[in-house]
Amino acid sequence: MSTEDIQDSEPPLDTNIFKEISKKALVDALNSVNGSKTLVLDPSLAGPLGLVTEVALLKHHGVDKMFWLEAGPLSSNTTNIVYLCRPMIKYVRIISGHIKRHAKESSKHNYTLLLVPRLSSLVSRLLEEEGVLGDITISAYNLQFLPIADDVLSLEYESAFKDIWVDGDESVVYDSAQALITLQKLFGLFPRLLGKGDHAARLINLLTTYLPQTSNPDTLFEPSTIFDSLIVIDRRVDMITPLLTQLTYEGLIDEVIGVRNSHVELPASLVNPPAPQAGVAAAPPPAPTSSTSLRKENRKKYHLTSTDPLFTELRDLNFSNIGKRLNGVAHKLEEDYKRNHSDLHSKTTAQLREVVGRIGGLQSEHQSLRIHTGISELLDPITRTEQFNKSLEIQQNLLASYNVSEQVSSIEEMIAQGADLEMVIRLLCLASITTGGIKAKALENIKRDFLQTYGYNFLPLLLSLAAPSLAILLPNPLPPSTPPEVTAFKYPFVPLRKSLRLLIDDNLEALDEVENDISFVYSGYAPISVRLVQCVAQKGGVLSNPAEKEKTSEQNKGSFGGKVQAHPIVGWKGFEDILATIPGKTVDIMQNAIGAAAPLGAIAQHKVKTTTSVVFFLGGCTYTEIAALRWVARQNRGRNIIIATTGIINGTNIVDGLAGIQKTITGTKDAGI
Amino acid sequence: MSEHPTTSWKSLQDGKGFYRRQQLYSLQGKLPDLGDYVISGCRYGGPLAIMRDNSKLVAIGRAAPAFGKSQIQVYSSAGEGLLLFSWDQSRIIRFGWTLNERLVVLNEEGVYRVYDLQGDYQQYSLGSEASEMGVIDARIYENGLVALTGSLALLEVKGWEGARPMTLANPNLADPPISWSIIPPDSNISRHVEVLLSVENTIYTVDNLESTDQRLSQGPFTHVSPSPNGKLLALLNAAGTLLVISSDFQRRMAEFDTLNVPSAHGNVKQVEWCGNDATLVIWESLAVIVGPFAETLEYYYVGNVFAVTEPDGVRIFGADVCDLIQRVPDSTLSIFRPGSTSPAAILYDAWESFSQRSPKADESIRSIRPELATAVDGCVDAAGQEWEPYWQRRLLNAAKFGQGFLDFYNPTDFITMGQTLKVLNAVRFYEVGIPLTYSQYSYTSPTHLISRLTSRNEHLLALRISTFLSIKPDAVLKHWASAKILKSRPVASGTGKDAELDGDDEVCRLIVDKFKQLGGVDVSYAEIAKRAWEVGRTGLATKLLDHEKRASDQVPLLLSMKEDRLALQKAVDSGDTDLAYQVLLHLHKHLALGSFFRLIEDGGERLAPASRLLQVYAREQDRDMLRDFYYSDDRRVESAVLALDEASRMVDPSGRITTVKSAQKFFSEDKDRSFEAKMMDESARLLALQQQLEAESDGKISFFGQSVNETIRRCIVNGMLKKADKIKSDFKVSDKRFWYTKLHALTEIRDFEGLDAFSRSKRSPIGYEVFVHYLVEKGYKKEAVAYVARCDAPKRADLYAECDEWRMAGKECKDRGDKAKLEQLRKKCPNSLVARELELLVASMK
Repeated sequence: MSTEDIQDSEPPLDTNIFKEISKKALVDALNSVNGSKTLVLDPSLAGPLGLVTEVALLKHHGVDKMFWLEAGPLSSNTTNIVYLCRPMIKYVRIISGHIKRHAKESSKHNYTLLLVPRLSSLVSRLLEEEGVLGDITISAYNLQFLPIADDVLSLEYESAFKDIWVDGDESVVYDSAQALITLQKLFGLFPRLLGKGDHAARLINLLTTYLPQTSNPDTLFEPSTIFDSLIVIDRRVDMITPLLTQLTYEGLIDEVIGVRNSHVELPASLVNPPAPQAGVAAAPPPAPTSSTSLRKENRKKYHLTSTDPLFTELRDLNFSNIGKRLNGVAHKLEEDYKRNHSDLHSKTTAQLREVVGRIGGLQSEHQSLRIHTGISELLDPITRTEQFNKSLEIQQNLLASYNVSEQVSSIEEMIAQGADLEMVIRLLCLASITTGGIKAKALENIKRDFLQTYGYNFLPLLLSLAAPSLAILLPNPLPPSTPPEVTAFKYPFVPLRKSLRLLIDDNLEALDEVENDISFVYSGYAPISVRLVQCVAQKGGVLSNPAEKEKTSEQNKGSFGGKVQAHPIVGWKGFEDILATIPGKTVDIMQNAIGAAAPLGAIAQHKVKTTTSVVFFLGGCTYTEIAALRWVARQNRGRNIIIATTGIINGTNIVDGLAGIQKTITGTKDAGI
Repeated sequence: MSEHPTTSWKSLQDGKGFYRRQQLYSLQGKLPDLGDYVISGCRYGGPLAIMRDNSKLVAIGRAAPAFGKSQIQVYSSAGEGLLLFSWDQSRIIRFGWTLNERLVVLNEEGVYRVYDLQGDYQQYSLGSEASEMGVIDARIYENGLVALTGSLALLEVKGWEGARPMTLANPNLADPPISWSIIPPDSNISRHVEVLLSVENTIYTVDNLESTDQRLSQGPFTHVSPSPNGKLLALLNAAGTLLVISSDFQRRMAEFDTLNVPSAHGNVKQVEWCGNDATLVIWESLAVIVGPFAETLEYYYVGNVFAVTEPDGVRIFGADVCDLIQRVPDSTLSIFRPGSTSPAAILYDAWESFSQRSPKADESIRSIRPELATAVDGCVDAAGQEWEPYWQRRLLNAAKFGQGFLDFYNPTDFITMGQTLKVLNAVRFYEVGIPLTYSQYSYTSPTHLISRLTSRNEHLLALRISTFLSIKPDAVLKHWASAKILKSRPVASGTGKDAELDGDDEVCRLIVDKFKQLGGVDVSYAEIAKRAWEVGRTGLATKLLDHEKRASDQVPLLLSMKEDRLALQKAVDSGDTDLAYQVLLHLHKHLALGSFFRLIEDGGERLAPASRLLQVYAREQDRDMLRDFYYSDDRRVESAVLALDEASRMVDPSGRITTVKSAQKFFSEDKDRSFEAKMMDESARLLALQQQLEAESDGKISFFGQSVNETIRRCIVNGMLKKADKIKSDFKVSDKRFWYTKLHALTEIRDFEGLDAFSRSKRSPIGYEVFVHYLVEKGYKKEAVAYVARCDAPKRADLYAECDEWRMAGKECKDRGDKAKLEQLRKKCPNSLVARELELLVASMK
């Protein structure tokens, strides 16, 4: 984002408020238990909590020791034990195990259970069955949206996708609705609710009908002047995007190394400066060539934060540009150092002080440059591997529907080579969606190879991919016994490719210069989900390329008026036909405050004021989608976009979630956030 | 014109204090003879409850007929019968009133019921100890009761929601107290209830912590009576001396010999308080006020008398009247006292002169000009103290007249007083019969008054008052709806089933319309529906529940109504999964498993989310149930997946094979799942094979549970090449896959000879480039070189370069005459030595 962008648009709403709310709620919850306490933490909450607070704050509020909530004995020397976890059955069992064991050892403790995000009758019932309900005080810790960047709010649910589309557990939808209501309580009602997808429709239904009654009507006031709309995209509507390999910097980090709760695990030597005198030019030791050794080295968590200006600059760039950009930064930095160095010879102390002050800033810049250079060096060899490029090639060919049967046999070949299970599944599903199903015979062979290669225990994974709720790995033609909802869900990829302009000719020059369409995030493919958002928030962007037009107009008019004023939100208007072809319900609702009709003046007002559209991804979104939406937001004057999601996903963690593969969480018994 | 207020005034002997007796209602023949009854009166102008006193003889032929069973009658202060019910339990020990006019009746077994004025009750118990020992006496106050059990222990109950009784400190009595009383918590300094027991010559005070002997010597006391504010005690001893002392037993205020009252006959019936500063002693037909300095005032009545202490006076029921005796309030006194020259009195006088068109008015107003505001306030206040609308109006007029002479005057008090008096006059009307004074009204709040009216079914009045005072009508509407449901019952159950349904619709519509019309947004339909259900009108309850928008309120009631499907449906629709779980768990507990499953399965698509939630729950917590569930619904695939999931957790190999086989069986039962069945068959075969392999290797190599590829790999790594080949053919492993696997495995154990032999066993289906790449990747560049020659000619140069064999790469180029390639190699080469050689080559190619 250039400085010009920041100047001409009002700052979007302050997302840090959510952090403060969550922090305060945590402190209150902890303070409700008097005295020093042992905190037993659900490992899946450690990440989200790390975004809210730090260990020092917990210590300050009487947390003596912290443990992971894991099976096995728990020894605590404080009377108070506080459990903090999501309401999951396995945790209840562990907790009741602890309590019973303590009772046997006759050590006396006060137990408090803080459930995230709300109380659960299921948990109380299970505790009752275990006979320990009377020993434990249950309350809730309402952890909702967390800001993972200035413009991204996340609920940080890891299993949202699986919960909704495999298990059919809609708790996430309900919790999302609650969180969005909190958002409305803070900033006012969304004047317009738009959504695509069955579960998106369900969410909007909950927002408009059931939930307002549950809260005090006094708190839900008038339509917000900050928001212009809420756009809910159901992950099921666009399954293609997460299956593809993300090609932005942040996306690729997520694909290759894995980002959890905005933290990435890096080799320790990279995070801690190896030697203070190492200059910019002295590159870190050559990156290990294979990913296996990458996993072995001692690892340390590093926070990818938007407070790091370099990262903010890099995160949304296509990876192909990263090297160049880093180079440029390094040069600039070197010059700055030199200048300072020469400045050091200056006479007056005042000048000297200024220089010294500048050096501090340079050093942090230097540190961050070093880390990002290190990261890109980790990524680079992987992007050169044959498998990586083969999979990219298959993806691009499938998207262009080029020689489909050959792609399928390429996938088969990859299985034979023992490629990553996740990659194979991603490619298979992609092939199935884009082509409307893989030829029955071929599919059966591939499935057989797959099971023999990775184990028969992955049969349930294949079944759930083909199950009606998901239906992303299907044979073609469908067997006659297929339930009608599956046939109805057949994805019209080929027509969409044209109508939503999904494939942009990968013209290298364009990539190098201004990234002039959202397709830069996948080097030529525009994510459907973001195109749908554009259908609402930047209609011109779907049809043609505003950046190109802008370029021509700029030439005509000179440098004046770079950006177009955002058009008001008029729903899906103009794209109804296209939306109708995509499976899943389409929603468009105007929301007025109770008893108050929307005054005409309000609409006129929207035109002048900068408003914010909230895009909510139900089931998670990828970093590339975030990058693309940021790009969309930059194109217009007068509209900011806030991205809200149930969590950050990528194809790999979706597949892992479905297959029940647990990626190990590094950490000892003593939890450190 | 009513008679002047002062006509009912009487002054105490010293002429300072005035008391007035206001006749509230005439009770001519409305009440039975109070002497024959046990009576309890409710404060704040509330009703009287009376029960035949069985210890008294009744002359046959008197008005009240004799009943075998105990019967309690409730009359309003105006003598209107409100309620009559008979008591079918064991002997009543005591009954009394709560703050919101509910009658508490306690029997000797420690069971107590709380009746509302419609005769509905909740029943609670004082616990097992009380029921074993029996209850011999009790004192009931507004927010609780204290019972004296047969073992002379004291039990306290707080509130009327059936709270657990708490034992107070044990006074260690040998005999029951001669008399006793309590000071309620809110008039006590400690904020806990205090019990006063008259024992022998003294009084014991007992609270929840300790029992203290107050060491009085003038006992035994036959009457112990605390003042309404709990600060003073009136004690009457056997010698007929009335003592008034402070309730901390530190100061003695007055002493009065009741035997000195000449007109008194017989025993003292009651010792009560008139407000907080005078005691009242009741004999038959006589009530004597004993002032702070033992001065007396005597009031004569016809027949037996019963007094109810009020915070600002005392209500006295005679045979034909209901009176309020109170100290004349200061504001009234300052206006109407003969010869009063207070500003308010002069203002009133001025107004009277003014209304008689006398010029004196102006003079009077002038004389009180500086205190006019006070005078106006005085008149407003005095208006509130008057019973007769005539005098209320006159005083308000005087106040209004005074206001006219003031530049700035905030009329809020005046307006509020006008409104309040309108309300008070309405409820004082004899048909309503709530003789509420202004100060009682201020103390108990308007909402309290409204709830009192609704409990008398005076809905219209209550509604009008709440509208008049701009109070939300929710409470009234709710009560009205409940009452409506009760009242409509006989109509609805008229002729047959259809008639009842019509009745339900009618009532439901009536209620909903009324709510909508009056905008009672916050009325919870669920609560009303609950009421309907309690009286057995399930149909109506269901209909009403449909209007409830809060699913969390609907669902519990639906469950208790056994509307299982509907409850589940609503819970699912609400989207609140926790609510759905609540219902599911409840149903699982209360229904037979079969009907539980049927309920969910029959729900079809609408209940599908519930079914899925159940599966999520059961997968973690109750697998047996899940297995039954799938089985009963013929879900073969799910059953199979469940079996597989179980198999993956099993440690015992043969058990695991059996489970996989059972999964295979499930799949084979579904004709669309032949592929899956085949796979599971393979899986079982593989497991068996792996078991066998492990046995053959004496358990040194672990095979069990590995994939086909992995098994082949382990075979090769461990030199069991034959086995590997056999697995390949048994499981129809494709050549390509087998070659990759074998390549990887042989490289792993660095069996390069074996690899060479293997590569020559037949033409490689995966080509030889793969060999080179893989070996190079694993760091075996030297070994890789051998395979380059077998690759396609054009690629060889690059492949050699990959293996760091620059010279050979160069040679390759030269052989093929590819000069461009050679140049390219030269640019990439790692050191100058090689570069020079390549340059030579380039040169030689000219």
